[in-house]
Amino acid sequence: MALVELYQQVILDHNRTPRNRRELPAATHRARGLDALCGDDLIVELTVEDGRIEDAGWHGEACAVTTASASMLTEWLRGRSVDGLANDAARFRALLEDPEHPDDGEFNEINCLRAVSKFPSRVRNALLPWETALDAVSPRR
Amino acid sequence: MARAEHDMTTPPLDIDALRAEFPVLARTVHDKPLVYLDSAATAQRPQCVIDATTRFYSEYNANVHRGVHQLSVEASEAFEAAREKVRAGLNAKSEREIVFTRGATEAINLVAQAWARPRLEPGDEIIVSTMEHHSNIVPWQLVCEQTGAVLKPAPINERGELLLDELEALITERTRLIGLVHVSNALGTINPVERVCAMARERGIVTVIDGCQALPHVHVDVQTLGCDFYAFSAHKMYGPTGIGALYGREPLLEAMPPWQGGGEMILRVSFEETTYNELPHKFEAGTPNIAGAIGMGAAFDFLDRIGIDPIAAHEQDLLTYATDRMQAIDGLRILGTAANKGPVISFIVDGAHANDIGTIVDHFGVALRTGHHCAMPVMQFFGVPATARVSFGCYTTRGEIDTFLDALERARTMLA
Ligand SMILES: Cc1ncc(COP(=O)(O)O)c(C=O)c1O
Repeated sequence: MALVELYQQVILDHNRTPRNRRELPAATHRARGLDALCGDDLIVELTVEDGRIEDAGWHGEACAVTTASASMLTEWLRGRSVDGLANDAARFRALLEDPEHPDDGEFNEINCLRAVSKFPSRVRNALLPWETALDAVSPRR
Repeated sequence: MARAEHDMTTPPLDIDALRAEFPVLARTVHDKPLVYLDSAATAQRPQCVIDATTRFYSEYNANVHRGVHQLSVEASEAFEAAREKVRAGLNAKSEREIVFTRGATEAINLVAQAWARPRLEPGDEIIVSTMEHHSNIVPWQLVCEQTGAVLKPAPINERGELLLDELEALITERTRLIGLVHVSNALGTINPVERVCAMARERGIVTVIDGCQALPHVHVDVQTLGCDFYAFSAHKMYGPTGIGALYGREPLLEAMPPWQGGGEMILRVSFEETTYNELPHKFEAGTPNIAGAIGMGAAFDFLDRIGIDPIAAHEQDLLTYATDRMQAIDGLRILGTAANKGPVISFIVDGAHANDIGTIVDHFGVALRTGHHCAMPVMQFFGVPATARVSFGCYTTRGEIDTFLDALERARTMLA
């Protein structure tokens, strides 16, 4: 059932032992993502060199879905170009909003977060780390 | 305590018959019987309330106070009869003291804009407790911005009880108004409203009580409480959404200017001069929520018929039962353990975020609330971002609490 899909091993494993949950003192980009209604509050930090993300970390308080998403995102970000991030985030969003959407070849295990598409109230949780990362690299900062 | 005496003399509720009055309780959620533990957010409606509103629409729908035709007469009579039911339910002296509003939020904003805003001077002070719902905080912050008055929070202790001595110590000669929630939606705490009102009255301070969570659970008598204003929403007490009322002592309401202009609130309009209508219509601009008001009257009838004493006894039994069982769970912490509590249990669980608990138990048919419960200062006080909360109504059963606890155990196992 949908519930077992949402709380599947990969997601639970990222929740239990989140990757890159640490502060990056040398971060060049940083943003706070706050979803007061749900009680999610996290910071995403990036070290960017020549438009490439060299390191990514996050910390804060979050539910299992947000935690797993932040954990997977920060793993995936390393080595990616800052310029492509907006497009990547749009693809990720499409995946979450449509249960029939095919897997995205590049996303690997991130694809499993599409399980939230059957839980409309939880889509925002999976998106929060991505929106925060986008916020961190947005030019107005 | 008075409550214990009631317990011995009050015949127990006929729960099966009572539940049968609430059609929605018969439905399933994710193929499981609905276990609705979110009555503090909004209660379910009994058939008598639903019928009262549909009867208005299907049998005598018309605008109120505006026509000589038969339907308008019937609608106006039912609308004003509802006002009398609210008056009786709160034991106000006069129907002139009952202003219909969209709910508690609008009622408090009315006091803020029509009583406080014209009166407060820079440096005047408003005190509200730390456990207020945002609707009894933000309207005062707006007024403070508008007038230069200052908002001061009155502290609570670790059990979620108001610290009366500290509240008293906060009062100065500049204190003009005290806002206090009667029963906290986030913690369940029942506040000593009578004592706070007495404290305020001695010093000429106006009191605004948020009674949203009180009416479905405890006796409310505005004259005994001694408050100046009392605000509530019908949907927390088995009535419709989008309707509620403000009780205001007549001399205060009389001295206040209208806060919205339009039809209904005037006696005579010309471009030279407009004469405002009598109380309470002065504060009821525009066509009101007629069906809602009639449904609210039916909700007061419902509470009257079932009786607040047997309801309170039943809910206190559920509260004790659920609290005892939850306190026995390792890693679970209840926030809000006041000696005097309504049927609300806010809690956090080690290693399980409230959001995930909410999603998982929902799949077992259990509806509970997660988040900050529109009381972010309470969350800040306890240093948590969010809690899960179960809240009970007259129709809640021990069996449902068992189902919830089983589902909670599943959630813990799943997330472990
Ligand atoms: C204690 C308390 N006060 C005020 C409100 C606001 O009620 P409404 O949104 O119906 O105006 C609520 C309900 O959410 C509440 O629980």
